[in-house]
Amino acid sequence: MTLIFEAVRRLNASFPPAPWLILVILFLPFPLLAANQYQIHLINVIFINIMLATGLNIVKGFCGQVTVGHVGLYAIGAYTSALVCIHFGVSFWIALPTAIIVTGLAGIIIGIPSFRLEGAYLALATLGLGESVRIFISATEFLGATFGISNIPYPEIGGIVFDLPSKIYYIIMPISLLGIFISVNILRSGIGRAFKAVRDDPVSAATSGVAVRKYKLIAFVFSAMYAGCAGSLYAHLVTYIHPDNFTILIMVTLLLMVVLGGLGHVGGSIIGAILVTLIYELTRPYPEYQMLVFGMAAVLIVIYMPKGIGGLIDRFLSTRKFIRLREDKADAAAD
Amino acid sequence: MLLQTEGLTKSFDGLTAIRNLDFSVAEGEIRGLIGPNGSGKSTLFNLISGIYQPDANSGRITFDGEDITDLSPHDIAARGVGRTFQLLRIFHEMTVLENLLVGHHHHVRYGILSASMGLGRVWSEERRIKERMQELLHFVGLADFAGMPASELSFGQRRMVALARAISMEPKLLMLDEPAAGLSPANVEELQTIIGLLRERRGMTIIIVEHILKVVIESCDTVTVLDHGEKIGEGTPGEIKDDHRVVEAYLGREMDDEEVRAALAE
Ligand SMILES: Nc1ncnc2c1ncn2[C@@H]1O[C@H](COP(=O)(O)OP(=O)(O)OP(=O)(O)O)[C@@H](O)[C@H]1O
Ligand SMILES: [Mg+2]
Repeated sequence: MTLIFEAVRRLNASFPPAPWLILVILFLPFPLLAANQYQIHLINVIFINIMLATGLNIVKGFCGQVTVGHVGLYAIGAYTSALVCIHFGVSFWIALPTAIIVTGLAGIIIGIPSFRLEGAYLALATLGLGESVRIFISATEFLGATFGISNIPYPEIGGIVFDLPSKIYYIIMPISLLGIFISVNILRSGIGRAFKAVRDDPVSAATSGVAVRKYKLIAFVFSAMYAGCAGSLYAHLVTYIHPDNFTILIMVTLLLMVVLGGLGHVGGSIIGAILVTLIYELTRPYPEYQMLVFGMAAVLIVIYMPKGIGGLIDRFLSTRKFIRLREDKADAAAD
Repeated sequence: MLLQTEGLTKSFDGLTAIRNLDFSVAEGEIRGLIGPNGSGKSTLFNLISGIYQPDANSGRITFDGEDITDLSPHDIAARGVGRTFQLLRIFHEMTVLENLLVGHHHHVRYGILSASMGLGRVWSEERRIKERMQELLHFVGLADFAGMPASELSFGQRRMVALARAISMEPKLLMLDEPAAGLSPANVEELQTIIGLLRERRGMTIIIVEHILKVVIESCDTVTVLDHGEKIGEGTPGEIKDDHRVVEAYLGREMDDEEVRAALAE
């Protein structure tokens, strides 16, 4: 086990994307193992939710900005991608970057309230912005209003149409892993440290030379781009989007992923995204309880397990390291 | 003069914390700043570092020949002003090494794009600055605590993290707000050695706010005394000690030589 870790570490140091490419290759046969298209569909949704949770974790977990507007950005990504395809006839490969850029710009608008507001007030402001996206869509004929937008084209490469979950998987999975790769790199660079400094103490971050507003905006824009990418992938996976795909219930579900996984823990939010997506699917027949239960769960976790699953993993790893250190010392003393 | 304030005034609804203050510090100086509780010492630091704005049209702050009165805190930090806080304000959720790396933020030479792709350049730059910060940790006696969350350290160690974070900025001017408060006598001694070395080896100009008179008298070239936001005395530690007005303001009454000596021995 240790040997594998060491090998991965070496590989990573010499060529950072290498372990990630290996992961992509390992994940390639997944659709062959699935029993039916529904299972693969679920795996695709999980990868999309991992993108959403990873993005939300950057701004909330690392930069400490309480945002409840993420689902609005997700909607902007999905609708932008769908509309440019339908109205301009461009392919998915143009629509995806367009959605990422447009949503990134929208992230600036969601981020600006963070200059003046904190905590619950910031949550309210971003909630308002996120909800207004959904309400605006529901009320605008051009955006399909409450009927939604259908016939969103499937992605295509040189005549191959990715029209089944088992095919579009090969687009969603690598992009999602690329997203995680980028977020890991950002978060362990000086930029990630600046985020954490802003979260821990904005005043002393500023006197240490961190441009607090700039880094808040960077975090918001980054997380928005993740939401935009996830939205675009979702639109072209399901080919039919509707304002009900972007309600507060979805926002609460996203929050639960990040909180359960552990704020500020990349691996944790991935685990959170997997678990919560599965729970969401299993509880789908009871939508009237989902909101209540997910919301309560998020609150209870924040109170009783503030570091989430990621915190448990860290504690387990550091305890093992500590025990090993002690054993080494004991060995040395015995010699 | 490296730092200069002219006619600086700051009030908080009715209470004037700094009143019409002219204060200047020469390059390479170690300046003591003393005064009773609430006399405006920390407020002055907050004004210089840009956390507070002076009252409208009430004074200017010049640093290194540039007017910094209207700059934001991170711009002032980038120009070479580092500081510590009376209540530390270190990053508790981050490791000791990370605290220093944040202070070193301005010296990091890579952009967001290369960072997001994890280019080799980023890795080698990270390695370089981490080694540099490790040396600094060694310098302040925290070499063994690099990977520990800052919140798990003892109070004295956390004070050292705060100091090291400010040093990691490699500032021209270092402002220390009560760096010796709560330290053991041995640690106070060590702190004084560090302060001396910072000037000697790194050419830093240092302002120290301190209630422990021993530090002020032994480490500072000049001492400025504040009372109710006004400067009531300035001179060498020897001169200040003999200034009855100062002693009175500071301790609320006059001290005889015996008591001064006792205060020094603390
Ligand atoms: N943010 C603030 N809001 C209101 N009043 C303030 C604020 N900051 C400082 N003051 C007031 O300004 C005065 C000077 O405070 P300051 O903290 O500068 O004193 P100090 O000399 O550092 O004292 P100490 O030795 O206790 O640290 C005090 O009366 C304090 O209550
Ligand atoms: Mg003070």
